[in-house]
Amino acid sequence: MLLLFRILIASTVITGMTALQAEVSFNRQIKPLISDNCFKCHGPDAKNQDSEFRLDTAEHAYADLGGYFGIVPGNPAKSELVKRLHSKAEDELMPPADSNLALSATEKKLLEQWIKEGAKFEPHWSLQKLPAQVAVPTPAQPAHWALSPIDQFIAAGFAEHGVGPAVETSREKWLRRVTFDLTGLPPSLAEIEAFKADPSPTAHETVVDRLLASPAYAERMTTEWLDVARYSDSNGYQRDGERLVWPWRDWVISAFDQNMPYDEFVTLQVAGDLLPDAGPAEVLPTAFNRLHGHVMEGGIVLEEYRVEYVADRTHTFGTAFLGLTLECARCHDHKYDPLPTKDYYSLTSFFANIDESGLISFFTEKTPTPAMPLSTAEADAKFAQAISEQLRAIKKLEQLDHDPAHTEAFETWLQFHRPTVTWPGLVGHLSFDAMVNETLANSVDPRTPAQTSTENKIVPGKFGQAMEFEGDALTHLPNVGHFQREDPFSFSVWLKPHHIAPRENIFSRGAGADDAASMGYEFLLIDGKPTASLIHFWPGNALRVQALDPLPVGEWKHIVITYDGSSKAAGLKLFLDGKPMATHVVADHLTSSITDWMKIPADSDRQHIVFGQRYRDRGFARGQLDEFFAFNRELTAAEAQQLFDGEHLAQLLAKDTATLTPNDRSALYDYFVATTSNDIREIKQELHAARAKWNRTMDALPTISIMRELPEPKPAYVLERGAYDAHGESVTANTPSALPPFPSDQPRNRLGLARWLFQPDHPLTARVAVNRYWQLMFGKGIVRTPEDFGSQGRPPTHPELLDWLARDFVSSGWDVKRLLRQMALSATYRQSTVISAETREKDPENLTFCRSQPRRLQAEMIRDNALAVSDLLIEKIGGPPTFPYELAVGFEPVDPDPGDGVYRRSLYTRTKRNSPAPVMVAFDAPKRDVCTVQRAEVASPLQPLITLNGPQFVEASRVLAHELLTRVGGTPSTMIEEAFYRLTSRQPDADETALMKNLFDIQLAEFSEYPEEAAALIAIGHAPAPDHLPAPQLAAGTVVVNALMNLHESLTHR
Amino acid sequence: MSSPLCTGFENPLGLTRRSFLNKLGMGLGGLALADLVNPLHALDPSALLASTHFAPKAKRIIFLYQSGGPSQMDLFDYKPRLNQEHGKELPDSVRQGQRLTGMSTNQASLPLAGSPFTFDRYGQSGATLSSVLPYTSQVADEICFIKSMHTEAINHGPGVTMMQTGSQIPGRPSFGSWMSYGLGSMNDNLPSYVVLKTKGGKGQPLTSRYWDAGFLPGKHNGVEFRADKDAVLYLNNPQGISRKSRHAAIEALAEMQEKQLRETSDPALENHIAQYEMAFRMQASVPAVTDMSDEPESVLQMYGDDVKTPGTCAANCLMARRLAENGVRFIQVFHQDWDAHANLPSSVAHQAKLTDQPSAALIKDLKMRGMLDDTLIVWGGEFGRTNYCQGKMTADNFGRDHHPRCFTMWVAGGGVRGGYSHGITDDYCYNIVQDGVHVHDLHATLMHLLGINHERLTFKYQGRHFRLTDVHGHVVQPILA
Repeated sequence: MLLLFRILIASTVITGMTALQAEVSFNRQIKPLISDNCFKCHGPDAKNQDSEFRLDTAEHAYADLGGYFGIVPGNPAKSELVKRLHSKAEDELMPPADSNLALSATEKKLLEQWIKEGAKFEPHWSLQKLPAQVAVPTPAQPAHWALSPIDQFIAAGFAEHGVGPAVETSREKWLRRVTFDLTGLPPSLAEIEAFKADPSPTAHETVVDRLLASPAYAERMTTEWLDVARYSDSNGYQRDGERLVWPWRDWVISAFDQNMPYDEFVTLQVAGDLLPDAGPAEVLPTAFNRLHGHVMEGGIVLEEYRVEYVADRTHTFGTAFLGLTLECARCHDHKYDPLPTKDYYSLTSFFANIDESGLISFFTEKTPTPAMPLSTAEADAKFAQAISEQLRAIKKLEQLDHDPAHTEAFETWLQFHRPTVTWPGLVGHLSFDAMVNETLANSVDPRTPAQTSTENKIVPGKFGQAMEFEGDALTHLPNVGHFQREDPFSFSVWLKPHHIAPRENIFSRGAGADDAASMGYEFLLIDGKPTASLIHFWPGNALRVQALDPLPVGEWKHIVITYDGSSKAAGLKLFLDGKPMATHVVADHLTSSITDWMKIPADSDRQHIVFGQRYRDRGFARGQLDEFFAFNRELTAAEAQQLFDGEHLAQLLAKDTATLTPNDRSALYDYFVATTSNDIREIKQELHAARAKWNRTMDALPTISIMRELPEPKPAYVLERGAYDAHGESVTANTPSALPPFPSDQPRNRLGLARWLFQPDHPLTARVAVNRYWQLMFGKGIVRTPEDFGSQGRPPTHPELLDWLARDFVSSGWDVKRLLRQMALSATYRQSTVISAETREKDPENLTFCRSQPRRLQAEMIRDNALAVSDLLIEKIGGPPTFPYELAVGFEPVDPDPGDGVYRRSLYTRTKRNSPAPVMVAFDAPKRDVCTVQRAEVASPLQPLITLNGPQFVEASRVLAHELLTRVGGTPSTMIEEAFYRLTSRQPDADETALMKNLFDIQLAEFSEYPEEAAALIAIGHAPAPDHLPAPQLAAGTVVVNALMNLHESLTHR
Repeated sequence: MSSPLCTGFENPLGLTRRSFLNKLGMGLGGLALADLVNPLHALDPSALLASTHFAPKAKRIIFLYQSGGPSQMDLFDYKPRLNQEHGKELPDSVRQGQRLTGMSTNQASLPLAGSPFTFDRYGQSGATLSSVLPYTSQVADEICFIKSMHTEAINHGPGVTMMQTGSQIPGRPSFGSWMSYGLGSMNDNLPSYVVLKTKGGKGQPLTSRYWDAGFLPGKHNGVEFRADKDAVLYLNNPQGISRKSRHAAIEALAEMQEKQLRETSDPALENHIAQYEMAFRMQASVPAVTDMSDEPESVLQMYGDDVKTPGTCAANCLMARRLAENGVRFIQVFHQDWDAHANLPSSVAHQAKLTDQPSAALIKDLKMRGMLDDTLIVWGGEFGRTNYCQGKMTADNFGRDHHPRCFTMWVAGGGVRGGYSHGITDDYCYNIVQDGVHVHDLHATLMHLLGINHERLTFKYQGRHFRLTDVHGHVVQPILA
């Protein structure tokens, strides 16, 4: 038995525990073998493989291939597969020579044995329901070792494989291990001493409970989750602008701090916005879905990147919660797992239903929509006040209608003061009758004519001349129409389209289209249909109304647009030839500024109204415009009619009072209210001021991208070969067919998806989570490929333990602290890292968990350890990202924080995708491009340069040396002893102290000879260099402490 | 993802470091810092490929990356038709409905623009080159021009990412990282993949992710040598620490670890010491290779006046040669600002002036040293430029937008057919007529010259065997010598 185990280990291909049962296990032994070596051509992706033979299900594998059979259960001799394994003919041998794959003799024997035993297939282990109960084994050996059910499973594995546990590690090392694992920080000397002195049988429990209750625990768990969530303080891709997402990170910290159940923690992040009565507290967590990169590179195709973002959300969901490599199925059916492309696109459609753009605006740098404001109590109070002021003004307006004095004022005006037609509020007028020196006269303000160019032509128009547009040549009207969203305004224009186009710019104000998220207001023809919009960030924060019908080509038509300052689509109206147009509302969600361009100078012509052309947008080529008017108020219907026919209002105003119909009186009343009434003017000013107050309060708030589901799901398709524009078959939201069906009582949205995920017998959710936390505590997962629970992943070393932990996790109400506590208090966790050479040879990968796994500290821990042992660490929780020293030498250097920021925990270090914190990266912190559930651990010579030369480490060494040398009774030797103890959690022996003392003497001699060098060294870092210790002394101490900081034992977690 | 180095338990050579040293008759202390360059480490035990798939023609690559997209029809791909039809509309029959960038897709007119430069034939091969490349013209017979390059990307971010990693979406390992992973290092005191950037480069931003190792182990990251005090992150001792002082500290550290090693026989300790020793060597070897004061005037003159200013393209080309001489496997020199959306006549001439002489000098210099035979030089960017004008066209000024459907790159050196032009574009320089070479094909071909079968260099990540060439790529046989 032992021999077989050795052979299998030596063969290096067998992954996971190679069981020694009498019968070969399909899932543990055969599946990994055939998946890796055969499925590429004989797997589930039938469409894209040359061979008809499939080895992924029994039905296919046993099939008659025309007189011969791939597999004949129980009969290797008659199985073509076996023949092919051993074939001498190059064109028959499997796997073929050019596949770069080969099976060892042992593996071939294993396959034959499996066929001999009946070639039984089983569903893939991880797709089988989580069992309701898992029996805990009761192995007799090792006696008195197990402390918990975990240990009983592990011990059963020992028995199976003929190994035994490592000895229990020392108390110091256990404490160091558990403190780093649960808090990411080293234990203090006081904590070590207290634990060593605690005779209680529950001493370990006391420690674990203390650690789990500490705020540092929440920070440590958050650090791990930031990798999962691909958290970054910048948008990635080429421009990589910084973004505000840390409030989401702080939410994660608080969730771990309060031990939020895992199901709630995940549901809020996946679908918090869809919970009943979701408020900011529920919506903020959904930023999880928007932490992917966002492109800000003008010129890209927006749809291509929108599709990419949806894919990113889906892949993150797949890796983080399902442990499946979904992205394989993006272009073709998965080669290894039962994941057809259709299932992939059905799943992605859950994540597509938000109003987002594929491009971040370059000229406004606003938060990609949908976004939510991060309000404050102060702002909330202002909002409440502004709303009550608005309501008061609106109520006053309503009351005026019934106010006899007001009615009397109207009647008096009607009887005696009706004017001829005048146009109060007219702020601009272009007749387009003549071009003089590339200008067009503005009759309202002759000093500021419109600017144009001769590429645009003056042609016969509706009234006198008009202008025909070239389509790319600029025409702009300066200093007119600089409206905010609370300002009422109106426009009137005659236009004659030359053709119907997908999109034509008639006039607009803003810095451009996609490159500025279309911020501003605009009047377009879209497929010939008049379309008016006010936009903060298209499409998620905007108003848009659109006519139902296109304008006829080649005819003069008259359009009036009016807006009432309400920020509501109902306040935006279109009139065609004097009559209200039939329109529909395309967008009705405008909450933020329409004028906040951040990257164009205030005097840029793009600040003004432009005609027939717009920056990087489609112009009004060969279309004509005539008689453009702009007003700083909302015109009435009668005025719109007057502007069209030139007589309607004039006739009304001239009509004998006695002959006025009720409609006439109503129209005249509206005109009176809009132009004449003093009472109304005052109230409207109040309303305007109240709206402005609300708007400015909102404009000042930071915002964060979140999820806000559209009322109707977007149409979704299979994308052929993954190409964004190759729409194939239609799909609707659904979960993968190989997994449990979508629950019939749940909505087909992300909330339903989250509910599906947390069904108590879901095959993946709990297994994937407990495996990740096992990895966090033990260094390696029970499934060694935490990102892949599919056929290409490694099977669990202890499947029953994994199931027991998962079931226990679910039964406990998804209690994360409880889960970690069980692991930390196990005998398995207490083992030493040291083991006999014989055991190491038997189990080089530690698949039996017969020892603890030595690990280099993670990047954050290495820096945090230096800060903690030198007492420089500032234990403040949360807040904006910090800028430690290392960012000054990053790819895009920035100045370090002048204050506390250089001493905060590394979890807060600003993460920028294109300029990552160089120290973090050198120690294998991921770049946060994609969801990452396992970090690399690689040694490189660039690492010693950091811990020897980096100012963070030099400063920490100096500060610690100073503390220890200046304390009462401090000597170089006491400094060495205590620094060693703090850095390694172990006291040095006499030899070690002597070695370091010798180094101290050498350094002291050199620094005494060159005191200016000593002064230079101790000046490194922001911490003040004290002057009551001779510089050479302190410099020598700094070098020695730094050397200790660079010991393998200081940088390792044993 | 575990590396042999991080546990020390598995070593492809079957030797732990200590036993390796013992066999050479050296104790651990004996090696410690004995010399800065250790010639015995010819074979990098961490390299994936114990031997290449077939005999390599080249040992190393110098990739002169021209970021922004150089204009093929103004430098290499002569198209008199564009001059004849200057100002006329791009015919729909040529465009064939291909997508344009968001910058010119809404332009009402797409007028053709002829090159403002003259072209002539050079060398025995008669290569046609623009008047702005007088130095490249002199070495035309060493060069293989690939005029039929194409890519899918129409913008810089995706385009550079494609050329660097074989995918438009960031996150995959870069070409240089794949080579470092596959072939290992040829030295033990310098990184195997070094990146140099023209200092103060304007234009489209370059990001460190373009030379990232992605999911490969972090040691295969490209290491940017900066033109400042610390060429490598924290390379220099902190102020106040002399080399002697550092030497003493490293020795003390090594002794501490050696004592532990005797007690625990944990091979991770050996590896730890090795990294510290390598770091110490790098502290000397990096300044030695980056200090160019020992270069004779004749060599400096070859690269041009700029060579004396650190961080220029000229200085970086010369530095590339020095790195190549010192065993760096993959050297990438980035030059920016070829993105001539406007003012093309002056900007192309200017960028050519900055890059032409040093690029040609690098060929000559390597040839003089007998290194051209086993060094591959690659020159080019992420895509080409449009035959039509972007923005306003005036009598003497215009710009060109991005064009992925055809562009020119050149390769020279180890195993490449010099004096040869591969692939043909149409008279409008819009579409490829013959012998298209996709970015994947270029990668496959360059890997072939390094002795690697591009389909067989893989890395398993998240359940899939990844390759630089994804599921594509063909070796372009005609350009092989």
